Amino acid sequence: MSVLRPLDKLPGLNTATILLVGTDDVLLQQLAGSMLKEDCASELKVHLAKSLPLPSDVNRPRIDLIVFVVNLHSQHSLRNVEESLHHVDSTFFLGKVSFLATGAGQESHCSVHRNTVVKLAHTYRSPLLFCDLEVEGFRTTMAQRLVRMLQICAGHVPGVSALNLLSLLRSTENPSLEDL
Amino acid sequence: MAPERKVKNSQVQRRTSQGSNSYQTRLSAWKVREDLNDSKSISKHRKNSVVEDFEHGDNQVEDALQIAVRYFEKGPIKTAQRKDKTLERHFKTVENVAWKNGLAPEGIDILLNVALSGRFGSAVNTRIFKCMIPATLISEDSVVKAVSWLCVGKCSGSTKVLFYRWLVAMFDFIDHKEQINLLYGFFFASLQDDALCPYVCHLLYLLTKKENVKPFRVRKLLDLQAKMGMQPHLQALLSLYKFFVPTLISVSLPVRKKIYFKNSENLWKTALLAMRQRNQGLAPEPLKLMLGNVCPVKRKWNSHSVIPVLNSCNYSKESGKKGMNLSDFFSSNGSFPLEQLKSFPQLLQNIHCLELPSQMGAVLNNSLLLHYINCVRDESVLLRLYHWLSQTLQEECIWYKVNNYEHGKEFTNFLDIVIRAECFLQEGFYSCEAFLYKSLPLWDGLCCRSQFLQLLSWIPFSSFSEVKPLLFDHLSRLFFTSTIYFKCSVLQCLKELLQNWLLWLSMDIHLKSVTNSPLETTLGGSMNSVSELIHYVGWLSTTAMRLESNSTFLLHFILDFYEKVCDTYINYNLPLVVLFPPGVFYPALLSLDPSILNQLCYILDRYRKNLTAAKENELVPKTKSEFSFSSKTYQEFNHYLTAMVGCLWTSKPFQKGLYIDAKALEKAAVAEYKNSLNLVHHPAFMSYTVSFLLQEWPEERTVNMSSVRGKKWNWYLEYLFSEGFQGLKLFIQSSIHHSSVP
Repeated sequence: MSVLRPLDKLPGLNTATILLVGTDDVLLQQLAGSMLKEDCASELKVHLAKSLPLPSDVNRPRIDLIVFVVNLHSQHSLRNVEESLHHVDSTFFLGKVSFLATGAGQESHCSVHRNTVVKLAHTYRSPLLFCDLEVEGFRTTMAQRLVRMLQICAGHVPGVSALNLLSLLRSTENPSLEDL
Repeated sequence: MAPERKVKNSQVQRRTSQGSNSYQTRLSAWKVREDLNDSKSISKHRKNSVVEDFEHGDNQVEDALQIAVRYFEKGPIKTAQRKDKTLERHFKTVENVAWKNGLAPEGIDILLNVALSGRFGSAVNTRIFKCMIPATLISEDSVVKAVSWLCVGKCSGSTKVLFYRWLVAMFDFIDHKEQINLLYGFFFASLQDDALCPYVCHLLYLLTKKENVKPFRVRKLLDLQAKMGMQPHLQALLSLYKFFVPTLISVSLPVRKKIYFKNSENLWKTALLAMRQRNQGLAPEPLKLMLGNVCPVKRKWNSHSVIPVLNSCNYSKESGKKGMNLSDFFSSNGSFPLEQLKSFPQLLQNIHCLELPSQMGAVLNNSLLLHYINCVRDESVLLRLYHWLSQTLQEECIWYKVNNYEHGKEFTNFLDIVIRAECFLQEGFYSCEAFLYKSLPLWDGLCCRSQFLQLLSWIPFSSFSEVKPLLFDHLSRLFFTSTIYFKCSVLQCLKELLQNWLLWLSMDIHLKSVTNSPLETTLGGSMNSVSELIHYVGWLSTTAMRLESNSTFLLHFILDFYEKVCDTYINYNLPLVVLFPPGVFYPALLSLDPSILNQLCYILDRYRKNLTAAKENELVPKTKSEFSFSSKTYQEFNHYLTAMVGCLWTSKPFQKGLYIDAKALEKAAVAEYKNSLNLVHHPAFMSYTVSFLLQEWPEERTVNMSSVRGKKWNWYLEYLFSEGFQGLKLFIQSSIHHSSVP
């Protein structure tokens, strides 16, 4: 199956495309909705996928940012993301991949430990964001932040590149809270 | 022993029936052991019972409860078949009441006895413990009695563990702690038991006072640590000991560790939360916010707040008696009822006989008690407050209970009160810091933004490199991906943090000999930490300027921060001057906004005054301190100064400081660049030049900007000063010799 590469297509004029990958279809759609509501100079395109690889026969624009959404309440969602990651070209990890963990607020419902995701993000050298997507307020702010990241990744912010942003967001070896 | 106890118990009943005097001891009937049928007559005079509001006079429930408790008290009946059924039935009754209304002190007393006396199996004991939820308070005596059962050795290890966990969870609800503290030695000895150790540690952590810290205990703890390795609970206790008596413990303990006990181990969390809300609802009227005396509070505290209502147990005891005279009052306990404390003179008169409430949270709402806390030198008071606060913060935090979103407003109010208390005491609470460690990674940057940032600005001074991975790394991640408004509020909050740190440090230097700060850092170490903070903000600012394409709005906030930074030497008397990074200086110098340039001039002037003062002090041999600024700081400053003078004054912009190769300028085909950044031609001032020329020579047909030189230049300066450019005025007066007018 096809591996997703960041530079195998030319960018569209003033368009920025994000790909959300995750098992929770409803949450992804809501997040996409909130993103499209954001006021933004670039033309936003949001693609949703349950898992990678994507079907190869569809014509789609260049993807500027992939966000893997992990629901901490389901092991399945984590495994799905882990498998999807194999279908992403390594150059994508130079700033065009991000992880989003949802459900961390309700600790009692979590079946995936927070540290597992932290490690996952660290292994792939990509930023990890936390947000409880079920709450509308939180979702809106997250959508706002993702749009800003996307604009940078698409090269629409002068002077800042995706790799640059990555170096700003990268986590140092954090002591986990469990050690505290 | 039995008859004596009984007398005491009846006292306890009175003492614990607290709050409004309508809290009748509704279950006092349990103590009347003679006849069960008496309960009917007792229920009659239970009329004023507040709890009746909930039960609507449903005496049957209470009777059933009494029967159930009696059943437990008597012990199991041997016929196995019937036993199971009745046991179940009675359990149901007790559990229902416990979860709905909580149990009265007497009920808890009896159940505690039952659970620890080993009359039932350990499964039953566990169940009893789980439903032992107080309606209001737990009497100290019950706990003492319970501990005496532990000595008999009739209960299993798991029951003991459960007892300690229960004790820790309910610690705040025990009406007095003096007698329990007398048992300190007994609890300490229980540390030997590996299974009990974590829970006993937690209990001791709550119980320890300064006088409990003894050399032999320290030795024992260190032995235990050597045996069991670095356990968080042992570390907690050790660090507490070290906090009280730093001289006794020489081993180094990690300073950063601030979460020792996991709240998740609290089995009674939800029940306690429900209970607290219920009690708030019951309170006759919410206590007036007394902090209002200090800074007026407009919002009225609504129905059930998180903060417990202030009540001292002694008060209710006394208020029960109508004809109480003064001598009674003094002979009884000698402590002043907190509810009657209404004014500052009262506080002064009674300061020797105040007893803090059993639920420390009540203090937050009361400015007088905050005064009191501030002046008593009792660390255990603050520790109790911290413990209460960290538990409440975690329980109330909104994103731990996503489903209950309306709860948000209440949480915001609570945070506001905590912040007000911090402002009032001018010190940060460690529990708030620990709360931030835990919740900042999950924060979305919007909800309760102002509260969170204010909490952040009150973080107690600590080593920056240790706090950075826990707080500031998460903050910078939010910072870079959020809106410009968020960036501005973060910078504002960091400015306040810096100010708080500087104030603490400047106080600390003078008080160094008096207080023994738990950090035990040297002045050099502290200065290092502050300069790391400043460099961190410098890094944030430089990147933010790039991300926001040199926004003037953002630059204002950045320069506001540096207005604090440039004055550390003179204003706070601290040996520290850190300059701004080029990423801030040049955008400000080339800004299109005249007020930015004015602010930059002011800051540069202050830097100059601070550095000159430092240099003068260094030259005087007596005052020469161990801290001298590196020549690099002076070089950097001189570099900025030449760049600035070159641009604004001498019209030689790109030679020194801001150097650009002449060839590059040639290539860019800029014909006339020398004048282009001086006070007349600088884009920020151009409009002023034009209006100056139009105002002075209205008859001139063309506006010739280059004509402003010599005398005209001086008039132009006067004009600029009259337009309010005070920073520019200071800068020119101090840094430029007036002979050199271009």
